[in-house]
Order: sequence, then structure tokens, then C-alpha cells
Amino acid sequence: MASSWCWSCLSRLRATPTPRAILPPQSITPRITTASFHSSAVQYANPTKKKGSLVAVKYRQGQTLRRKKKKTTERARPPAVGERKALRKRIVLSNPNALEIEGMQDLSSETMVDARLRGSVLGLPVPMLDQLRAVQAFKPKQGWSIFRRPGTVLRRDTLEMARLFEKISGEGDGAEKGKVVKKIITGLKGSGKSVHLLQAMAMGFLKKWVVVTVPDARDLVSGDTSYSPIEGTNPTQYVQPNAVSALLMRTVEANRQVLSSLKVSQKHSALPSLKPSSTLEDLAKLGFQDAAVAWPVFQALWTELTATAAAPGMEKDFKPRPPMLVTVDGIGHWMKESAYRASDYTPVHAHDLVFVKHFLSLLLNGQASLKNGGMVLYATSTSNNPSIYTLDVALDQLAARQTGVSPSSPEYPAPEAYSGADARVLELFKPTTGKEPQFELQTLGGLTRDEARGYLEYFARSGLLREEVNESWVGEKWSLSGGGIIGELEKLGRHVRTTAQPAPVLN
Amino acid sequence: MIEQKSLETFFGIGNHTSSRLLARFNIHPTCRVGELANKQVLDLTAVLSDMKIENDLRREVLNDIKRLKETGTYRGRRHALGLPVRGQRTRTQVGVSFVPISCLSLRPDLATSLALVHVVLVASGDFVAGRIKTPVKLNRMERRL
Repeated sequence: MASSWCWSCLSRLRATPTPRAILPPQSITPRITTASFHSSAVQYANPTKKKGSLVAVKYRQGQTLRRKKKKTTERARPPAVGERKALRKRIVLSNPNALEIEGMQDLSSETMVDARLRGSVLGLPVPMLDQLRAVQAFKPKQGWSIFRRPGTVLRRDTLEMARLFEKISGEGDGAEKGKVVKKIITGLKGSGKSVHLLQAMAMGFLKKWVVVTVPDARDLVSGDTSYSPIEGTNPTQYVQPNAVSALLMRTVEANRQVLSSLKVSQKHSALPSLKPSSTLEDLAKLGFQDAAVAWPVFQALWTELTATAAAPGMEKDFKPRPPMLVTVDGIGHWMKESAYRASDYTPVHAHDLVFVKHFLSLLLNGQASLKNGGMVLYATSTSNNPSIYTLDVALDQLAARQTGVSPSSPEYPAPEAYSGADARVLELFKPTTGKEPQFELQTLGGLTRDEARGYLEYFARSGLLREEVNESWVGEKWSLSGGGIIGELEKLGRHVRTTAQPAPVLN
Repeated sequence: MIEQKSLETFFGIGNHTSSRLLARFNIHPTCRVGELANKQVLDLTAVLSDMKIENDLRREVLNDIKRLKETGTYRGRRHALGLPVRGQRTRTQVGVSFVPISCLSLRPDLATSLALVHVVLVASGDFVAGRIKTPVKLNRMERRL
């Protein structure tokens, strides 16, 4: 008996009980309708009636306006308030499916300056993770969630920074206690600027420094926290009590150990409720319990931390203050007008916000500078970055000065005429005349091939990368990542390749 | 609720006014009503009570239209007819700008009065403060109403 399967397309024809030989003539044969794969069914189908061809056009009837009502569709309940944001900002630091790496070393005072470990990934110490979380060192899209535990590459820039940390802390050879290093960190997208800051924070915690961070500079200028003018300032300056209070809370949570060991050593007339015997932790707590006094508390805390000696009569409990690390991520947002408005509806420049101004003045050698030494690291951002012409020019100027171009020479970059360059930004970046060197520009580039190899091996050993990591393969990936841009390397490393499964055979 | 949005719930306050009001009292744009200090609330209430908003403003708008109608201006007539006032085309695409006759049939009160006004105005322009002077024969369109 003939098979009821159609041989060309494997669809089943109508099962006919009679053999083919005694089929009636074709005109009587029922048309195959079940074989949906055949186009002949469509071809033989009766022509469909044209709809509405018989309906008479009503010429004499008045035309009325018919509008379709919008259908209200039932929608699922939206997530609770804040749930979406929580999901967006969630930071996952561990992946139990990734392999534990045997023999992975932790970042410590010894390993961070060990040049032999260059190119290897050092784990962040587990007890420190809470502190790093408190200062919001981790960003949601940095890919911490694919590894067993967070770790960072020890690259050349990291080693250099670690040596600076050692020097400023007064350890090792060539110690320069009390030195202040100020840097603006730039680099291509994915070159590891934010992680560089994170490494700095981790080192700061290791060395028992006081770490003060602004995890996202935009938060202070986007008009999302309250602001109020300070009376009697010209031009009017604005204080942001809630932002200050949040910063105090971050600082206390991360530096509790250091702050609780230091006692108040100055007189603060703005804070009458402060007891002379209280610690700096108590002082900072005043600020986040009541946002109204947050700004005076912050000022008091700053004078305490930068104090080199106690006020007369308060020397009893005075301990020398540790160095400080101040980091800001996304500095570009501070180089333009903010989203706040003055009472006459003119926009408020970011430099008129007193909190922003405080951090920017650390770059200059002003009153607020770090007297006990430390580091000021301000990074630009490329993922969340306003385009600011003046900042670009100013950074070019800074780079030119660093390479030895004199500001009076014709090669020195200058803002174009009629470009409306922001004078206040240029003023901030102008060359200093004093003895103290100005802040530096540090541009993060790609990893070297050796560092890239160490980094990709880390992926392989975590079980994410099923490739043989050898010289030629790493060379290829290094080139593909634009010369070792670490963010691009990460994309290549986490891209898991699976072999194609053979398709099941039909019988 | 966000303060700016809640200001804009008042008839007569839009984005322009509300953002200036917020700036005047140093309230940030995403501030919520619950976060306002007492003084800010009092300041806002004081300013709002001096402004012409809500019913006062509605009354003013209605009075303006009424005045146009009473003086028999073209704009007034168009208002009375529910036709576009500002020179839009009515041959096609009038859906947005005027109340179609068929919709009026749902509201007999409005329809009758409008039709009468129409009749009067079209026929003679003899029109004294809404009272019909000369009765006119209705044409087919108007009889439908």
C-alpha cells in the first residue's frame, strides 16, 4: 500500500481507504485540504466574494463623525513603589555557580605593592565588602555577579597607586607622610576608571584612611535633593542638607572603626549640643539624624579630620588624624549649570552649590585641602556623561601642560572664539602660580598583553571561558578589545561559546 | 505626590508657572508634598491665594466668551455655533475643533438653542442679547435638530 506521507514535505495526506488504481477521475476526487504545506489548496480555492461590493453607497445620508473609543486594556499590576529602582540598582557580588579559584590572593598591604603579582586578579577581602558597599564603590553593571567573589586586576596603574598609598601612609622607602596627591582620571569607555576608584577605596580601607566618596556626581546637581540658599552670600550659594546627610551616613558606615577611635579636638560654635568628649562618629551621627544641621556637622567633621593639632585646652585625647581619600565619579556633571533654579528662575551653576564647591576646592590649594595628607581622585565618566566643551578643552590644556607645552605657546589648546566657554570651569583648571604642583591628569589606557592574559585566565579558571588561554588567543582578544580595554576584554571573556547540538533526525 | 504635579492640578497653573513658583521658594523639582517645610507650604498658599486660578479663572474665560457673543463679533458667533473660532478649515478634518451636529442631537437643550441662534444670525443678524426678533423658516438641516 502506498504510504500516506507526502514525500516532498513529510506532511500527511488524507488517508484514503482505496488503492490508487481505483480512484475515481480527478474531477470527482476530493481536493486535498488537510495538507497545509501545499500551496495548491490556496490556488484551487473558490474565489472569495468581495466584501461590501453589493452594499449601496448611501449618498443621501448625512455623514456623521464616528470616532473609535480607545479600548481600555486590563494591565497587570505595576510593581510596588521603589521595586523597579531596587532591581535596577541591585548589586550582586557573588555567583555560586562560578568556580572558586584556588590560590587566589586577597588584596592586602603586602600584595597590593607586589610587582610579581602584576596581571593577576586579587580578591577583595570579604570583611571589607560591607565597607565598599557602604561607600557605593560597586556599580550595578560592572559584572561582579558572574564571579564567585569580587576581585580586581593588579595592573600597572594600580601598583603605582598602591605605592603612593604606602608613601603617604609613611611606610616603605621614600615615605612622604602628609603628601597630597590630586588626580583627575580619564580614559576611554570601559577602561576601568570607576574600578580604579574602587581599588583606591579598598586600599584606603586597608591603610585605615578615612574614605569619603561621592559615588555619582550627578546626584548633587540633578535637582533631586533639597536645596536652600545661604543668607548673605554673593553670588548666592546653596546648601543641600539631604545630600550632605547621606554622605555623612556613608562615611560613618564605612569608616566606623577609624572615626570611633578619634575624639573631638576643636571647638565648634555652630554645634552647641556636641559634647567635648564625643568621638567623630558621634559628631557625624548628629548630621544624619537631623538634616537641618548636616552642613555645619560636615564642616565640623572636616575641620576635625584635617586638624593637625588640638585646640588649646583639648589636647588630652588628641590623636594624629589619618590621611584621607576623597573620590568623585563622573566629575563632568559638576562643570555645568545644575538643574536647580535660583529664586529668579535663573539656573544655578554647579559651582554655586556649596557642597560641590567644597569638593572642587580640594583640587586647589585652598582652606579645605587635606592637611594630613591623602589622595583626591576625581574620575570622569563615559557612560553617564554630559558633553561639556569647556571641560574637554580644560582637560586638553591640562594634558598639554603635563607634556611640557607652555600656556603661552601657540600649540596650547584654547577654547574657540564664540564657543561660549564656561569661564568658571577654565578658572578651576588654570595653571597654578604657587609652589604646590597642580593636580595631575591620569589617563587610563588598556591592559598590557601580560595583564590581559592574567585577566582572561581568571575567566577561564572561574569556569566562564571554555577556551585554551594561550599567547595567540590572548593576542587576538587583546587586539579585539582595542588594545586591552578592560571592559571590552570582559565582554569577550564572559561570552560563553557552546557547540551546536546536532539536529534530531526525522524518520 | 510630586509638588510640581500637584500645583499643576490647579486650573490656571501649568508647567511655566509651577516651575517658577518652585524656584521662587527653593523647592527642588522632584520634591514631594510631604517633604515640604511648614514655611514653604505657607508661602505657597499665600501666593496661590493671590493668583487668579480655578473658578475665578474659569469665570473670567466664560465671561470673555460671553462678551464676544454679546457684542456680536465673529468670534462670538463661532463660539455660539460650536464651530472653530480661529479660522480653521471646516470643509474637512473638523473633528477636533468643533462640536458636530450629530453630537448635539444627544443634548437637545444645547442643540435647540444653538440652532435658534444660528437661524437668527444667518437670516438677518438681527440679534439683541440672545432674544430672537424675527422668526425665520427653518431649513432642512435645522429641522433635523
